[in-house]
Amino acid sequence: MIANNKSTPTNNGRYAIEAKNVNIYYGDFRAVKEVNLQFEPRAITALIGPSGCGKSTVLRAFNRMNDLVPISWMEGEIMFQGKNIYDADVDPVRVRRQIGMVFQKPNPFPKSIYDNVLWGAKINGFKGNADELVEQSLRQAALWDEVKDKLQDSGLALSGGQQQRLCIARTIAVKPEIILMDEPASALDPISTLRIEELIQDLKRNYTILIVTHNMQQAARASDFTAFLNMDEDRAGYLVEYGETDQIFTNPQDELTEQYITGRFG
Amino acid sequence: MIDQPGADLYPQGEAIQAQIKKRHRTGRIWRYLFFTALVLAIITLIVLMLNIINQSFGLVAEQNAVPPNMLVRDYQEGRLLSASNVVTSEDDFYLAEEIGADPQATGFFGYAFFKNNEEQLKALTIDGVAPNAETVNNGEYPLTRPLYIYTTADILNSKPEVAAFVQYYLDNAPAVVKGVGYFPAGTEELNAAKATVANALESGGGTVNPADHAGTIVASGSSTVWPVTSAMSIWFEEDGFAGDVIVERVGTTGGFQDFCYAATTDVDIVNASRPISQLEFEACRSHDREPLEIRIGTDALAVVVNHENDFVSDVSQAELQNLFVETENWSAVNSAWPAAPIRRFIPSEDSGTLDFFVDTVFDTNLEDLPYDSLVEILAGGISLNVGRRLEREQRFYADTLVFEDQATWDEVCAEAEPPAGCTAPPRDQNNVFLLVQERIVQPQFLETWYLWPSLTQRDEIVRTVAEKYPNAEVIFQSWINGQFITSPQSSTPEIAGIRTAILGSLWVIAITFLFSFPLGVGAAIYLEEYADHTKRFNQIIQTNINNLAGVPSIIYGMLGLAVFVRLLEPLTSGAVFGAVESGVTANGRTILSAGLTLGLLILPIIIISAQESIRAVPGSLRQASLGLGATKWQTIWNHVLPNALPGILTGTILSMSRAIGETAPLVVVGASTFITFDPTGPFSKFTVLPIQIYQWTARPQQIFRNLAGAAIIVLLFLLLTMNATAIYLRNRFSKRMG
Repeated sequence: MIANNKSTPTNNGRYAIEAKNVNIYYGDFRAVKEVNLQFEPRAITALIGPSGCGKSTVLRAFNRMNDLVPISWMEGEIMFQGKNIYDADVDPVRVRRQIGMVFQKPNPFPKSIYDNVLWGAKINGFKGNADELVEQSLRQAALWDEVKDKLQDSGLALSGGQQQRLCIARTIAVKPEIILMDEPASALDPISTLRIEELIQDLKRNYTILIVTHNMQQAARASDFTAFLNMDEDRAGYLVEYGETDQIFTNPQDELTEQYITGRFG
Repeated sequence: MIDQPGADLYPQGEAIQAQIKKRHRTGRIWRYLFFTALVLAIITLIVLMLNIINQSFGLVAEQNAVPPNMLVRDYQEGRLLSASNVVTSEDDFYLAEEIGADPQATGFFGYAFFKNNEEQLKALTIDGVAPNAETVNNGEYPLTRPLYIYTTADILNSKPEVAAFVQYYLDNAPAVVKGVGYFPAGTEELNAAKATVANALESGGGTVNPADHAGTIVASGSSTVWPVTSAMSIWFEEDGFAGDVIVERVGTTGGFQDFCYAATTDVDIVNASRPISQLEFEACRSHDREPLEIRIGTDALAVVVNHENDFVSDVSQAELQNLFVETENWSAVNSAWPAAPIRRFIPSEDSGTLDFFVDTVFDTNLEDLPYDSLVEILAGGISLNVGRRLEREQRFYADTLVFEDQATWDEVCAEAEPPAGCTAPPRDQNNVFLLVQERIVQPQFLETWYLWPSLTQRDEIVRTVAEKYPNAEVIFQSWINGQFITSPQSSTPEIAGIRTAILGSLWVIAITFLFSFPLGVGAAIYLEEYADHTKRFNQIIQTNINNLAGVPSIIYGMLGLAVFVRLLEPLTSGAVFGAVESGVTANGRTILSAGLTLGLLILPIIIISAQESIRAVPGSLRQASLGLGATKWQTIWNHVLPNALPGILTGTILSMSRAIGETAPLVVVGASTFITFDPTGPFSKFTVLPIQIYQWTARPQQIFRNLAGAAIIVLLFLLLTMNATAIYLRNRFSKRMG
């Protein structure tokens, strides 16, 4: 167990993942402009910003999910374990295997709870004890006590919050290095949201977490670092300010950041 | 009311409700229109179904060259006569005497003869029912037949001596019938018969004095009733009748033939040991002779053993059968009986009593006779040449020959191209039964009627048949029956079936499915999951597929003819696989060509429906899978396809239903319209149900439309079964998907 490392973005240590001069385009349209970001390992970093500023696009660039959009392409580098994941010889399947993702809307497979957790492990060649893995993953996702008696029930039969935790369990079952979360609580009620936030806090001990959120309180409550993105006049997203969450929320360096977090635009 | 600014732009007060009502009304008009459309659609479908059902059932005037029950009777009598220790005699006295002398003997004859020899014999009860006046009259005792005399009101009125005789007959029936040894009809029945006669008489009847009458009275018919009527005639003459009573024995059927079918007749009274049939009745009526039925009594057979026999007093119907055939010892019939041989004394072959016994006790259908007997019946009714030809087509027994001698057979089979019979397995029960039907029974449907007239004008139809076809029988025919489904096509409608077409349809549809389902789903996966829609090439392909779904099916027929039948002939005829038997090549007009053509026809529909279903799989599922590190193929195979499958299956069901009903392309591809042998594989010639139906409906005779109606029902049934299975599978699958 590695203790929580509260290092600052200026830390020169090894970053979990790093974006260098990233530009992302959809056809001719530039959606993300010149983003440079370094993420601390085993910390929670929140990406905030107004609607359409490209924070989800940035997040999806970290495990090459943007590849699925045929017209999208990018410039720049994303360095992970000393290598640009967009290099020609890197297999996106391998990237996604190590950098997992939890989506905005809970999307469990139409399978049993047990199979939901195990499927990713199975296709990735998991050789250990399946039952143990399922239990361990569900426990880490704080879902075990609720579902241990109905593991063979459909994952779709769970409530929205439970489904999202099942998706998290499924993601951690393949033991990724990094977990990307795209507004994971935005489709949930406040109580479920709170549970997810607590869960994310727990997961920080083992995983590097990048979370996109619309919810300012959530970012303030749940993250160690915060990156604020905004849209310029061409509607391209750019990084405005990045720092420790406390600092961003109490003493923002940029006027825009201050306006945004105090709710004067967004 | 709060005065909202701008509210005056809307209707106010009463007008609000009026305006809302008007909007409701528009909706209601549409609702009624849609409902009318639904009702019309349902009515159309019901009319269609009723029309098909109307054609598939109905009355038939059937005439057999040899009635099947005669064949069965001959066979059963043969079994009786060839049983061990059997003695036959026409003389009932002899039989009674012999049984009376032998404790191990059994036999049967009229109850009268038992009564006359009661001290030496014992009558057995059957299933616990003893023959006596009560059980015989109410039908509890099985071995009985009713006795009647028939005459008409006209004869009674125009010939007073006949009226006098009939009245005398009824007055004295109890005594005479009993005297002869039959069971007289009950008092109530006799009184009813007297009333019938009195009603028919213009004079109203009254007491009869035979001495007042003279002239000739002719009675004809059953030899069973004969003793009663003759005894009655003697009494009548003894009581003073001045004329003659002639009583002839020509059998019940012969009596009715003379009485009902002849243009003129001198028969006044018919003696009958069964009720008049509807056809005979109608034939009589058509000659203005409406028969009056007068029940005079009941005849019963007694199954007897020696009076000293102490081990048997009751037999069941099954034991009764075993008692007279095949078994040798009493113990073989019932283990409680001694192991002594049964000695049987039964009436001889020509006796009506034997016929009656066999008809009642051994009531079997022709198709249920043993294989050997059917072969024997067939051999007895066809020429040696025909027999040889049938044997060369297919043998009757694996080890012995029926028509051909061994030397000729070996010679024929040693030829360069031996007939099929040399190698094919022997015929089976159903096959030989159909041969017997076709060659011996030779049923002929002289005329057929649809269901509606059969129900509403039954009497008229029966009368028409009685007038037009004296030897025909009116039967209710369900055109869908086991024989229709299992028989091959034939130009004789009576024995034609649709097995060939059913098998053809199943083969073709199987090939169609195997060809178009994997190809169609594969193409859809490529187009949806892999193809780059921004590329012009893929757009052109997509447009083409959409257009192909609308191309008329005959065009596919032309395509199939050009490509599969002509161009790929070596492949589709099976030549390259060495599957062509010499002399029977189908030249590419095979099941394979037909299946591939129909496969092409429905391919676009399958592709499009599969594409729709794949597109309907939520993207979030694909992302979830890919986000876990699954490859594209793993995502498609594990998530996209299972989720799209119910939709894909729906499209496939619809297109298969279309394929199974297609006629036009198969006509072009060269389906055979007349073919009597089953398809044996993808390289066989074939026909399919729709083509068979089309061919039958095109014939001028109504009987083929009956066959077509039945075939349509079979096709619909096949279609519904196929769809139901597919829907069941689909639902089970959807459920499993959660």
